[in-house]
Amino acid sequence: MRKILAIWIAKLAAIAGRILGKGSSAGPGTIALKICPDIIERLKSNISKNVIVTCGTNGKTTTNNLIYTALKNSGYKVLCNNLGANMLSGVATAFVLECNWLGRFSVDYACFEVDEASTVRVFEHITPDVIVITNLFRDQLDRYGEVEMTVSLIKKAIDMADEPLLVLNGDDPVSSSLGANRNRTVYYGIGEKVLNDEDGAKEGRFCSNCGHELTYNFIHYSQLGDYFCSKCGNKRPEIKYEAKNVDISSGLEFSVGDERLSLNYRGFYNIYNILAVYAVIDSLSIEKSDFCKVLDNYKPQVGRMEEINLGKPVILNLAKNPAGFNQAIATVLQDSRKKDVIFAVNDAPSDGQDVSWLWDVDFDKIVHDNLNLLFVSGIRLYDLALRFKYSDIKVDEVCENIPELIKKCLDSDAEVCYVLVNYTALFGTQKTLIEMKKEKERSEK
Amino acid sequence: MPEYSINILHLYPDLLNLYGDKGNIEALKKRLVWRGIEPCIKECTMENPDFDLKNSDIVLLGGGSEREQMLVLDKLLEKKSEISEYVENNGTVLALCGGFELLGKTIIFENESHQGLGVLDISTDLSLSKKRLIGNVVIELDNGDRVVGFENHGGRIDIGNHTPMGKVLKGFGNNGESGFEGVLYKNVFASYLHGPLLPKNPKLCDKILLSALCRKYGDFTELSPLNDDLEERANSYMIDRIL
Repeated sequence: MRKILAIWIAKLAAIAGRILGKGSSAGPGTIALKICPDIIERLKSNISKNVIVTCGTNGKTTTNNLIYTALKNSGYKVLCNNLGANMLSGVATAFVLECNWLGRFSVDYACFEVDEASTVRVFEHITPDVIVITNLFRDQLDRYGEVEMTVSLIKKAIDMADEPLLVLNGDDPVSSSLGANRNRTVYYGIGEKVLNDEDGAKEGRFCSNCGHELTYNFIHYSQLGDYFCSKCGNKRPEIKYEAKNVDISSGLEFSVGDERLSLNYRGFYNIYNILAVYAVIDSLSIEKSDFCKVLDNYKPQVGRMEEINLGKPVILNLAKNPAGFNQAIATVLQDSRKKDVIFAVNDAPSDGQDVSWLWDVDFDKIVHDNLNLLFVSGIRLYDLALRFKYSDIKVDEVCENIPELIKKCLDSDAEVCYVLVNYTALFGTQKTLIEMKKEKERSEK
Repeated sequence: MPEYSINILHLYPDLLNLYGDKGNIEALKKRLVWRGIEPCIKECTMENPDFDLKNSDIVLLGGGSEREQMLVLDKLLEKKSEISEYVENNGTVLALCGGFELLGKTIIFENESHQGLGVLDISTDLSLSKKRLIGNVVIELDNGDRVVGFENHGGRIDIGNHTPMGKVLKGFGNNGESGFEGVLYKNVFASYLHGPLLPKNPKLCDKILLSALCRKYGDFTELSPLNDDLEERANSYMIDRIL
């Protein structure tokens, strides 16, 4: 009875939230858990096959949503928290909203994106059969403490599951260390040097085994690459799903095993997301004949190199930490058009209140021949402005008003405008862009 | 050829690299360059652990994870007397977060008391480190200047009879109880604040630079002024938000 009551009230809350236009995707789950703390346990038997959990610092939303898309396109029914809420309440929301009013549903698979810090709490309610770890970078230090703490949390979470299949990024020494002494682990990675020299955050460049500094045959970015420890012999594990003959000149093209994948995606880092999905689908022995087509049809989440045309293309991208920003900047540089760039950084609790990481981003690289205007914005606009000042980079304007900056970009003689923002700056910016687009369409009619 | 030069020694940036220390180095460096003073930055790392304090004018010791911090402590203890001599001879040191803790006499870590560098008569207790003290901080210095930063530390420091760097207006400070933050001793500037500390606190940065320049050059009396409008705005913007 409690179960049904929880589902009803949560569903009504979701409907009310939609009508009022301010529903959060965590809210209904929070309510359901209050009324019926074991709601997830009671509903999980409705999943007939496997539960797949994706976590990691960067790329987990994209990876999880791609897994969902791939499974659905193979004809399965799938439960997913693809609205982005990735703590226990977000997982609970996915369950209750899937139920009919009698509290029933039936799916083959469930795939959840879970915030690293929430893994233990979530696994107390539901243990996954497959765990994907995309990467573990320095992120939001004030929330998690340190990378080491995140690793020990995830270790604890993995121990709670019953010998899950681990799908790990083998290029990341931190994520890979989670596969040590576990029987069921597959690794994915990129098997050749693709990008020019990168040096980003050095986190994790020490051997997880003996603490010695790792040596790299090559580095992709941050601590990702082909590494080994000269002291204890620890090294990049054997990679089962390895991208080779990589071509990122237009879209992403690479080989895995005997297959050649070609996708209309932007951003080198997406190779990792695609490999993770490929590894999961292959490991579950699911048919993947239309893999590329299915992935190409996937509409990225808000602000993942999202292009909005306002007479000239405005490309919005989310980046939350040094690794994410460095990758976003590298992707911007691959675009040879003349461009304006806006950086906006907020410091709300979900962004991380500590913005010291701004100094670990290689912002200097944004300066190149095709850079037209450079603007900074967001709540921490002055921190950004100082970051550029102390790198001798001229900022054209320091301004809290993002719409105004976008208008200036539209009036400039650049061909494209990039807006790179962190988490809480994303949604407001996207809303602004969509409103500007509607306004433009109205005025054209 | 610039008339003046300053040698900055960055200790173990390979291990103590949390919290944007690069910002502190850049602030020290650029505020010298903009005044026509030549900065020379040397890094002491696990790979190249040699350093020469006789030819150093500013030493920067940053923060890292507790494990990495203890690795650095082992290395630095080999040069304990040299470091002590440098400080007693008015050598300038900027010690932040973990670096602040390492300068003390004792550090209680994993239920054991470890010997620190003993430059400051202070002690750190890391046994409560699961309950970290985290958040934005504003402190007020003796001269009324307000310094902004961010703290994130598990350690609780008892600074004994030392002079604190400032009074906490917002935040936890050395241990969440004393109402004070950091330590000033001779030319040692020690603090839990990062954010990074120096870019948004240009006056503090200049105080550190001036101490080193005066020590090195007997005839040096003051730094030429810079246009700090942006820095001051960044500083007051945060103070207005936090207080």
